[in-house]
Amino acid sequence: MAPALCAICKTERALIKRPKNHAKLCKGCFITIFEDEVHHTIASSQLFFPGEKVAIGASGGKDSTVLASVLKTLNERHGYGLDLVLLSIDEGIKGYRDDSLETVKRNAAQYDMPLKIVGYDELYGWTMDQVVETIGKKGNCTYCGVFRRQALDRGAKMLGIKHVVTGHNADDVAETILMNLLRGDLSRLSRSTSIVTGDNKSDVKRSKPLKYSYEKEIVLYAHHKKLDYFSTECIYSPEAFRGSARALIKQLERVRPSAILDLVRSGEDMARLVPIEASSSSDCRGKSDALPVGLDDGGGGCGSQNGRSPGGEMAVMEKQLRENEAAEGLEIDIAKVALGDRAAEREKPRELAVRSSNKASNSKPITRQVLGNCKRCGYMSSQEICQACTLLEGLNKNRPQIQI
Amino acid sequence: MASETPPVAPRRCTKCRVQEATLDSRSQAVCGDCFAKHVSTKCIKQIATLGKETRSPLGPSTGTGPPPTARRGYLLGLSLGVSSTVLVDLLNDNVDFQLSRGRAAPFDLVAVHVDASPLTTNTQQTTTTAAEETLESYRARYPRFTFLCIPLTSALTLPTIDWSTLPALDKTQPADVQLQSLFAALPSTTARADMQRILTRHVLIAAARAHDCSTLLLGHSTTALAELTLAEAAKGRGFALPWQINDGAYAVVDYPPSSPSPSPSTSTTPTTILIHHPLRDLLRKELATYASHLTTPPLTDLIPPTADLSNAPVVSHKDLTIEEVMLRYFADVEENYPSVVANVARTTGKLVRIGAEARCGVCSMPLDEQGDERWRGELGDPVLREGVAGRLCYGCERSTRG
Repeated sequence: MAPALCAICKTERALIKRPKNHAKLCKGCFITIFEDEVHHTIASSQLFFPGEKVAIGASGGKDSTVLASVLKTLNERHGYGLDLVLLSIDEGIKGYRDDSLETVKRNAAQYDMPLKIVGYDELYGWTMDQVVETIGKKGNCTYCGVFRRQALDRGAKMLGIKHVVTGHNADDVAETILMNLLRGDLSRLSRSTSIVTGDNKSDVKRSKPLKYSYEKEIVLYAHHKKLDYFSTECIYSPEAFRGSARALIKQLERVRPSAILDLVRSGEDMARLVPIEASSSSDCRGKSDALPVGLDDGGGGCGSQNGRSPGGEMAVMEKQLRENEAAEGLEIDIAKVALGDRAAEREKPRELAVRSSNKASNSKPITRQVLGNCKRCGYMSSQEICQACTLLEGLNKNRPQIQI
Repeated sequence: MASETPPVAPRRCTKCRVQEATLDSRSQAVCGDCFAKHVSTKCIKQIATLGKETRSPLGPSTGTGPPPTARRGYLLGLSLGVSSTVLVDLLNDNVDFQLSRGRAAPFDLVAVHVDASPLTTNTQQTTTTAAEETLESYRARYPRFTFLCIPLTSALTLPTIDWSTLPALDKTQPADVQLQSLFAALPSTTARADMQRILTRHVLIAAARAHDCSTLLLGHSTTALAELTLAEAAKGRGFALPWQINDGAYAVVDYPPSSPSPSPSTSTTPTTILIHHPLRDLLRKELATYASHLTTPPLTDLIPPTADLSNAPVVSHKDLTIEEVMLRYFADVEENYPSVVANVARTTGKLVRIGAEARCGVCSMPLDEQGDERWRGELGDPVLREGVAGRLCYGCERSTRG
């Protein structure tokens, strides 16, 4: 039997079955089409402008390494005119970051790009190892995700850069969509699907050029381009919802490979269906502010494959929802008496907690939160105190007094 | 202090505090009566809402006089599974209750089972199918309701599907052969399950119109709605989710036999029907408990046994459908986190319905032109096909062409 030929060039032997659509391609054509698709995404969403200084959020993992490699290639091939910089965050996890930072340093040399490393300790006074020591292994991904999200932006600011690109891929986006559906978080659903996040109000724009690239294709690309990346996953536990959603994505992909892209499509479309008017009835059930913080739009994604067992986070939400259900009966009475002082009193502090930066907006509840600035650190936040500062406050309270 | 375990007292029901608790209802120990009451209350609440909705606009009466005497017809999609069977039972109880109060029966019910057996067997030879036999026992138990069995092949002649968007049927063949070749041409197991679900819905809507029913009742539990939400999202049908999950009016569009563009129906049958899910606040396992423990004789005697797909080992992922993946997933989540399951359906219910002008030729859901345009822009996806471009939704393109 003659070996199958590449479906594109029809001359080379097909060595790769594309995970996305099972097309049989040769190595060269696969690499070309992968790059072309990323280029198409960049061009059609007009992600960059000529001369723009762009920081690549680099972890040393496959996604960001492939992103750096592809961006360098496309920048030269299509004359984007970009000034590319690698930006790494040192969470302070011994045995995880030490090695991956070495990888990033090699990448910087290989791609001839400047590198900036920002440590959690210098930004927050805490390394992740110290955080875990204090709060244990459960729920620490929340801290890591919130801290990292800000760290990238702060690092970019230090470098005078207004655009950070991250290596989030189609699997990550699909996972976030599923996760937000499971959590019933429509406002995050509507924010997390767009390719660019952070609007003109925020100082730093973020985008995900690999948003439509399959994780498996990223791995294949890295493999065939012989890229130097670090493949150990975070040693701390992943979030339950994300782990649960990830396991589901993998199964869906096995059943129908297009499912990942189809989910992304669904998520984008559903984002347009999210009502602008707040789900005000749910607001007074305290849904939005009662959920565990920090599970933002893929920013917290230490996607670990072994997160199959649903952990504490799902149980917390289950408990919360049950309490809401139990409270429903009581609340109806109050609502019917309506406009009584007690009802007004009850709602006020809630409103303040959710969006205090702009009191005028209280009259018209809006799901998409209003951006302001954190009172403590000045970082953009929809709340009075940003998530990082809130978490830090808790951490600092519990810090053992005896320290050398 | 005492190291001995205290004598185990019989647990009291946490609701009535009288009877012994024998069942678990969302982590509360309850007695059978309170459990049954919980199930029936959740359903009747929905039925009462529907009753208000169907009262005045369809009846001839004006003003706030007594309810019109116009017939209120409901058509129920009966899969012969647990949920839809429980729904029949609860509706029957509701009619009994109303009659016992000296009121008129609140509605007429036609339960329709869409028989998918023509997909797997040639039904030409046999006169009665297994489903038809099962329906006999339903008729015996609920004599006041009408039970019908309609073969899936009847979808082949429906005007609500734009047949020009699908591979041409060989009209010289028997209907079941046509149906089988239509399904054989679909690219995957998931696509076939998807098509079966769409056709079943078309048949039910057609039956509702034929029997002059204003409303189609579907027996989806909270769990089923959550599964449907995620499954439809995973099939690229997110845009149409509010039409699938929410209760409300649905405009039926007919296609003239030869013209591809939709035109308003000229027939006198109603063009708008209501679609409701009265069991939307109940978990699947609650319905299963109700069916097996709280009805005499147990409803499970009626329901034909089916293989439990939720925990059977996976032989081949190629033969699995996205629906089955979701079924397994939610069986797991429902066990430990029932409120999370309920929250999925409730959240999706908040999404708004937009765009009802242009409809997909196969699933009849609204087309998302804005989304299609952006998607083609961002992905450069050359999926445009001659002739059918812009007439199928993203999900149906995926299911019909791969």
